[in-house]
Amino acid sequence: MTGYLAKRAGQMALTLFLIVTLTFFLVQAQPGDYATFYALNPDLPAEVRAQIKESFGLDKPLWQQYLVHMKNTFTGNFGVSFGHFPRPVLDVLAERLPRTAVLFLTATAVSFYVGFFLGKAIAWRRGGVLEYAATISGATLFTAFTPAFGLMMIWIFAFKLGWLPVGKFLDPLVWRGAEVSANHVFSYMLVTGAAFIAFAFLVLFFFRRSGRIGSAPLVRPVIAVAALAIPVAWAFSDIGYLALDILRHMILPIVTLTLISFAGTMLLTRNSMLETMREDYVMAARAKGLPEKVVRDRHAARNALLPVVTSLVYSLIFAIDGSVIIEGVFSWPGMGMTLLDAVRSEDLPLVMGSMVFIGLFSLLAHVIVDVLYVYLDPRIRYQ
Amino acid sequence: MTGSIVHPLDALDSGGIQHGLTAKHFLAAIACDVLDFGALFEVDWMLHTYRFSMIIGLIVATLVLAGCTREVVTEVVVTATPDPAGASAPPAAPPTTAARPQATEATSTPASSATPAVPAATAAPASVSPTPDAGDGVENVYQIGISADLTTTNVWAYLGPDGTIWNQYVLGGSKPSLYTYSAQRFDWVPSLASDFPTALAEEPVDGQTFWTTEVPLKEGVTWSDGAPVTAEDFAFTAQTVAEMQLSGNWPSIVDPEYFDHAEALGPHQLKIYFKQKPGLARWQFSLAFMPIFSKAYWEPVVAEAMQAGELTEQQKVLYAHDASDEPTAGGYGFEKWERGAFAEKISNPDYYFSDTVVTQYASGAYFETKPGGHEFGAFGETGGDKSLEYTVGPYADSTIYSIYGSQDATVLALKKGDIDFMLNPLGLSRGLQEQLQGEDGLTVIENPNDGVRYLGFNFRKEPMSSKEFRQAVATLIDKEFLTSTVLQGVAFPMYAMVPPGNQAWYNADVPEIGKGMSRAERVARAVELLKSAGFTWETEPRVSEDGRFVEQRGEGLKMPNGEPIPAIDILAPSPGYDPLRSTFAIWIERWLNEVGIPVHADLTGFNLIVEKVFDQQDFDMWILGWGLSLYPDYLESFFHSRHSGLQGHNAGGYNNPEFDKLADQLLAETDVEAARQLVFNMQEFLAEDLPYVPLFDTPLVEAYRSDRIKFPYTHSLGGLQDASGLTTLVQFK
Repeated sequence: MTGYLAKRAGQMALTLFLIVTLTFFLVQAQPGDYATFYALNPDLPAEVRAQIKESFGLDKPLWQQYLVHMKNTFTGNFGVSFGHFPRPVLDVLAERLPRTAVLFLTATAVSFYVGFFLGKAIAWRRGGVLEYAATISGATLFTAFTPAFGLMMIWIFAFKLGWLPVGKFLDPLVWRGAEVSANHVFSYMLVTGAAFIAFAFLVLFFFRRSGRIGSAPLVRPVIAVAALAIPVAWAFSDIGYLALDILRHMILPIVTLTLISFAGTMLLTRNSMLETMREDYVMAARAKGLPEKVVRDRHAARNALLPVVTSLVYSLIFAIDGSVIIEGVFSWPGMGMTLLDAVRSEDLPLVMGSMVFIGLFSLLAHVIVDVLYVYLDPRIRYQ
Repeated sequence: MTGSIVHPLDALDSGGIQHGLTAKHFLAAIACDVLDFGALFEVDWMLHTYRFSMIIGLIVATLVLAGCTREVVTEVVVTATPDPAGASAPPAAPPTTAARPQATEATSTPASSATPAVPAATAAPASVSPTPDAGDGVENVYQIGISADLTTTNVWAYLGPDGTIWNQYVLGGSKPSLYTYSAQRFDWVPSLASDFPTALAEEPVDGQTFWTTEVPLKEGVTWSDGAPVTAEDFAFTAQTVAEMQLSGNWPSIVDPEYFDHAEALGPHQLKIYFKQKPGLARWQFSLAFMPIFSKAYWEPVVAEAMQAGELTEQQKVLYAHDASDEPTAGGYGFEKWERGAFAEKISNPDYYFSDTVVTQYASGAYFETKPGGHEFGAFGETGGDKSLEYTVGPYADSTIYSIYGSQDATVLALKKGDIDFMLNPLGLSRGLQEQLQGEDGLTVIENPNDGVRYLGFNFRKEPMSSKEFRQAVATLIDKEFLTSTVLQGVAFPMYAMVPPGNQAWYNADVPEIGKGMSRAERVARAVELLKSAGFTWETEPRVSEDGRFVEQRGEGLKMPNGEPIPAIDILAPSPGYDPLRSTFAIWIERWLNEVGIPVHADLTGFNLIVEKVFDQQDFDMWILGWGLSLYPDYLESFFHSRHSGLQGHNAGGYNNPEFDKLADQLLAETDVEAARQLVFNMQEFLAEDLPYVPLFDTPLVEAYRSDRIKFPYTHSLGGLQDASGLTTLVQFK
C-alpha cells in the first residue's frame, strides 16, 4: 500500500503539473493579453506593476513566463489579488473556503442521504407508485434550469410565504452587534461537524472492536446523546444564535440543492441495488428467513453502497469549489462566486489560484477514493 | 458463510458482530452506518429513545431560537436618548475623469465626478428637523442593497488600487473636503471651507515662483474623536499623496505636475502652493474635492509605512491598514464589515452639518445656514421661488449595506422589504423595472445618466480621416428610430459629448446632424457629403419613391484618390454584453451598406475591443462608452493629440491643432464662466468634426421603498446612486 501511495503521489504531482500548465495557457488564450493586463493594470501603483512584471517574468518570452509561473505556483507564490489589493490570493481563498464548505458539504450529505434512502426503497419495490413518483420528480428536478429553480424557491419560500430569508448567509440585523466574524462561526461549525463525525467513528470503532454481544445497541444512543449535546453546547455559547442564523439561511439553498441533485444518487443506488439483489447471498439471506427489511438494509443495500460512496466522496471534495449558480442566486459568497468575480474583473492571480486549488482538491479526491476502495472492498489490492 | 456466496461486506450483517475485525472491516461498516440511518429504527426502544431525543432537540432549538430573537430585539431597540441629528453630508468623492471605457458591469472604477456634499432636494422641500426616531425608541436603520462586496475599508486604497464603485458607495462621504457640489444643480460651493478661495496669485518663495491661493476653513468642525478638523489635516493629506506617489485616482486629485505643498497659516486658514498655474480641472474640480484625512490618526500609520522600505512596500503597508476605527467627520462612521455579507455605518452625533438648512432659488442663488453656526450665500440675491430646500440629517441611526449576489436577488429583497433602496451604477434592467412598476410601497424613479455611448473612427486610416465621410456616417444613423422604435425607449439619442443631463456644461445649441430627417433625406445628404469630398460610385444609391427604403444600393464606391473603398470593421460589444450597442452596430452596418460603404459589424468581447482599440490601435471604427465626470475636462483627455499614443484615451488619433488649442485653454482656465464658454465651443467643434459620433445613453432607473423612507429630492443627474443613496438626507415615515 505504501508503494502504491508513493506511486499515486508521483502521479498526482504530474497531473498537478499538467493542470497548472493548462490553466496558464487557458488564461493566455483568453481575449486580451495576459502579460499586458498584469503589467498595465492602471489601478495598481506603477512600482507594484514593475514588481509584478519582474516577479512573473512578464518582460520575458512566453516560455520563460511559463517557467516563472510554474516556479511561483509550486513555491506557493500565487501573488496578490488585483481586486482585493494588497491581500494575498491565499488569504482571499482561505476566507471563502469555510463558507462554501459548510453549505455544500451539508447539502451534499443531505442530498446523498435522501438519494440513497429513496434509491434503496424504489429498487426494493419495483413498479410501485413510489418508484414512478420518485423517478419522474427526481429526473424532472435533475434537469431543472438551476438559476430559475433557485429563484422560484426564493420567490415561494422567502417572498410569498416569508418563511425563509431572501438569500445571503446571515441577517445583518442579527449580526451587527456580534463580536465575532462569520468566518469564526463557520470555522466552529466545521470543527463541530468534524468532531462529531470523529466521535461517532470512535464510538463505532470501540464497540465493534470490543465485540461484546449486546453492545451494538448502545452505539446509537451514545451517538444520539452526542448529537444532542451539540445544540445544547451551542445554545449556551456566545455564538449559538449566530450559528442558528446561518443555519436558517442554509435551509433554502440546501433544500434546493437536494431537490436538484438527489436523483443522481437515487438512480445510482437503485441500479446498484438491482444488481446486488440478484446475488446469491441475498437469496441465502432470504432463505435463512431473515425479515425483508433486514435483507434489504443489511445484505443488499450495504453491498450496493460501493459506487454510491465513491460518488459521495467525489462530490464532497468537489463541494469545495461550490457552485457559481447556487452561490449567485442565494448570495452566498463562497469559492464559486470568488472564481466568477475574479474572472469578470480580470483578477488573474485570483483566477489562477482558485483553479489550481480546485485542481489540487480534485486530485486529492481521486486518491481518497482509491484508498477508500481498499477498505470498503477487501478484495481490492493495489500493487 | 462461505466465501463463494457471501459478499465481504455481508460479514457485518445483523446476525453477528464478528470477532477479530480489522480496521478495514470497521471502516466498511462505518461507511454503511453513516449512510444507513434508517437502521436506527430497528429496535423499538431505540425508536422511542430517538424520538425522545428529537423532541429534546426541538425544545433546545426553540430555546436557541428564542435567544436569537431576543438578541435581535435587543439590538434594534434603543433605550437611551435619541440620537442627535448627526449625519453627514457626504463629503465629496473626488472627481475622476473617465479613465476606462464604459463597461456594462457594475465593477468599474468610480467614473462620475463628485458626489454632492450637501445634496439638495427639489420636489418636496421638506424642512424637517433631524430627529432620528419618532419617539418609539426603535432605531431607524437605512438598509441598502449592493451587488458586490467592499474590497477595503481604507480610503487611501479605495481611491487607489481598490477603486470600485461599491467601495465608493460605502466609504465615500466619510471625510470632509474643502468644496463640494450642490445638490441637483452641481454648483461649486464650500464644504469645509467657509468661503471661496482667494484668487490665484504668483508668489516668489526662496527664488522659486509659485501660484498660491488661500482658503478659510469653518470653525467648529470636528472629527468623531473630538479633535478639530484643521488646515493641518489638509496639508498632511495632500503631502502624503504627493510623497508616497499614490496611484489610481489620486494623481488626478493631487496632480504632482501642479501641486507643490500646502501650509496651515493657522488652524483654520490654509495656503496652497502650485508649481504652475492650475486650471479649474487641477484645483477647483480636483484638489478642492480631496477627502481630508485625520492627521492625528494617520500620521503614525504613514510614518510606519514609510519605514517599510521601497516605495512599493510603503504603499502596500498604507493600503493594507485596517481603517475601520478611524475617526470620521462625515455623517456616519464606519462600524462593521462582515465580508461578503454587509457593512454598517453608524451616525456621527458630532457631525457638523447636522441641522444645516440648504436653500436653492429658482434665480440660481444658493444659501445655507446652520443654527448657531455659519451662514453662506452665493450666486445672486436670495429671494423668489425656492427650487429646493432641505435640512441636513442624518435621520438614520445606522446605514447597513447588504450584499446580494445578483440584481434579481436584490430586487426580491427590495420587494420583500428587507432593504429600502438598492445601489447600482447601471440602475435597474428593463425586466426588473417592469416587475417593480406599480408594486405597493415601491416608487420607481428615472434620471438622466452622465455617460455616452459613441462610435469612434481611426483617423490614421482612410476614409475615416475624411470629415465628410464621418459626417455622412453620422447623417445615416437614425438615432431617434433606434432608441424609440427598435429599443422601445430604453435609451435616448445624443448629439453632444456632454450629456444633456449635465445642465451646467451642456450646450443645447450644438449641431444635431441628421436629426429629424427621413431615410430619403439622410441618404441624399450622405451622398451629397461624400460627393463633395470626391467620393464616386459606379452605381449611386437610390431611395424608393415613398422615401422609406433604399431600392438601389450603392455599388462600387471609390475614395477621392480613385481607389475602391476598403472593407471597414466596426468593433462593437456582443449582444450578451450589451444588446443596445450591438443593436446600434447592426443597424449602422445596414445603413452604411445601403449607400455602398462596405462596413461589417464585428460583435466581440469587451476586452478584445479595448485591447485592439486602446492597446494596439489596430481597428477601423469602434463602439464603446464612457462614464463621465461633471466637469468636462474629459474632452481634453479624449481628443487632444497629446493623448493619441498607445494606451492613450485618444485612441482614434484625432489631431486638430485648432481643437488642441481650445483644450489647452480649458486646462489652464481658472474662471468657471470662461471655462463654460470654452466647453460650449468645444462641443460645437466636435459635433462638426466628429472624432466621435455620440450615439445614445440610457436613463438610470432606480426604485425605493416609499412606504418606509422619503428623499428630499429624487431628480438628479446619475440618479440617487450617484449620491450614494442620500444617506444623510433620507428620512423615515
